[in-house]
Amino acid sequence: MLELDDLTVTYGDLTAVDGVSLNVRDGELCCLLGPSGSGKSTLLRAVAGFEPPDRGRVRIDGQDVTDMPPHRRPTSMVFQDWALFPTKSVAENVAFGPKMRGVGRADRRAAAQEALKLVEMTDYAEADPTDLSGGQQQRVALARSLIVEPDLLLLDEPLSSLDRGLRETMQVELKRIHDRVETTMLYVTHDQNEAFTLGDRLGVMEAGRLVQVGTPEAVYTDPVDRFVESFLGSPNLITCRVVDVDEGPTVETPFGVRVPAPVDPDRLTLGDDLVVSLRPERLSVTAVPAAATDGGTGASVLATVVERVYRGSDVRLRLSVDETELFVKRPIGADGGLAAGDEVTVRWAPDEATYFDTSGARCR
Amino acid sequence: MRERLLNAAGRGVVAVLLCLLVLPLAVVVATAFDASGAVAFPPRGLSTRWFSALLASSTWLQALLNSLVVATGTSALSTAVGVAAALGVRQLDEGRRRAVVALAVLPLLVPGVIIGVTTLTLFSQFGLQQSYVALVLAHSLWATPLAFSVIQASFARFDWQLHEAALDLGATPIRAFTGVVAPNVRAGLAVAALVAFVVSLQEFVIALFLSGPDTRTVPVAAWNSLRQSLDPVVSVVSALLLVAVVGLVVVVGALAGVGRFASDL
Repeated sequence: MLELDDLTVTYGDLTAVDGVSLNVRDGELCCLLGPSGSGKSTLLRAVAGFEPPDRGRVRIDGQDVTDMPPHRRPTSMVFQDWALFPTKSVAENVAFGPKMRGVGRADRRAAAQEALKLVEMTDYAEADPTDLSGGQQQRVALARSLIVEPDLLLLDEPLSSLDRGLRETMQVELKRIHDRVETTMLYVTHDQNEAFTLGDRLGVMEAGRLVQVGTPEAVYTDPVDRFVESFLGSPNLITCRVVDVDEGPTVETPFGVRVPAPVDPDRLTLGDDLVVSLRPERLSVTAVPAAATDGGTGASVLATVVERVYRGSDVRLRLSVDETELFVKRPIGADGGLAAGDEVTVRWAPDEATYFDTSGARCR
Repeated sequence: MRERLLNAAGRGVVAVLLCLLVLPLAVVVATAFDASGAVAFPPRGLSTRWFSALLASSTWLQALLNSLVVATGTSALSTAVGVAAALGVRQLDEGRRRAVVALAVLPLLVPGVIIGVTTLTLFSQFGLQQSYVALVLAHSLWATPLAFSVIQASFARFDWQLHEAALDLGATPIRAFTGVVAPNVRAGLAVAALVAFVVSLQEFVIALFLSGPDTRTVPVAAWNSLRQSLDPVVSVVSALLLVAVVGLVVVVGALAGVGRFASDL
């Protein structure tokens, strides 16, 4: 469907998009996820034809569109702040695409009504777009793009200026519309939850490069590097020292405990640093007495509860181990009613942690 | 207390300045209605006889027509070139854009006499002296920088994402401009066209060099006629021009929205 081949966009000295290759399948909703400045919006604009690439090709349905001007491309874009035409009514906004394609007045009015129906905005056909709320403008922008039946719909953080509740409603709505129209969509967002809710697959971008592509589950559970791990998991990153390589790789934590690190020994050098990443939800916490019986396979350390935050769906604990802070996320009831000041044992399974060398590359 | 005094003083200064600006115009309009043949103030007796004299004079009517043709042509050409130039400088980076915008106003610093002499020499090569074309082109040298500045300022305030949205929905660049950009910057375009029109209407020195008996504009005709004697018809023509310009400003202001109009000026 959409094929990007080594796409590169530069602004002067800045490489905004750096050699990105990506295939988006027919009918798929693919999310590009990354922090601001990672080049995901520039990538989207290059696909729409607004940013001429310095290198690489853009193909849609096998057709090379790299040198095609925006108005001839089979794409349509929903802009971040929707870009509705302020001098036109809602219906005129939606009918703009058909009008530019020479569709007659009556036909394009009917098509606009149909498109507004899909986004449940028929009551506002004659309204002035500047009078609408953010969510309503978002729906109109979506209808205006869908009416031209693009082969590929591009969405540039379309929900980022909505408040949280509305954003979640619109995510569900977008998913419904995607299931219904089956248009291929490339969706840019910096919000991990949004990417996970919407995306069939997602691509994580960092500094202009596409670092990992896969299903949300694959990317979350098996990150390729420390950046993806940090961006998706908000993990506890603990820099440890390799103390044993041959007799079962072992590292020593800054708080003195030695723990096994199930990593390919060829990747390790005695005395080097190794970053151990512990996801907050993969740490278990028990009151101190239980710590006496250690199964031997896990890693455990004594800690003090600094803060306990009740979040309704879960409980978040901030613990301190010497100088190091650990964040733990536990289901309600699974933390045994701990309070600040309690002594606890923190335990994790070494094969559930992920390991990175000092350059950020994954060690398996 | 002190602040209020200062405020009152400030208002007084503005009032005096406005009077200084408006009173001479009022005198011109008043003399147009003078019943005697003298151009004098206050008028001795009111009459519209000089208006009739104007309507009876084919020379004056021709001059009015010439002025309208040249001003309309200048307005259209300057606005078109101004739009093209303003679209062009958008492609430049910030520093270069500022340089071009600053350089673009340079023609305004060239004295009219020099433009008059040099364009006369140039256009004579092509046998265009004394033609409408020569007048429109020469006036546009002055009017285009002004039109460009106004249009460039209104483009700078326009949300160009709307232009991208139009292209994205399949509009050709020209239809994106006429369908989406122009309606949103219409105040700027109207002001640019108006400024160019008025610049041409009141321009004298260049027109003196470039116009001939058939293309003489109103200021040149007035000068010709004043060289011989104080002709009261000149007052009438001046009054009519004044009313026309004020009328245009009001109409353009109403069409384009008064607030936007003021901000684009």
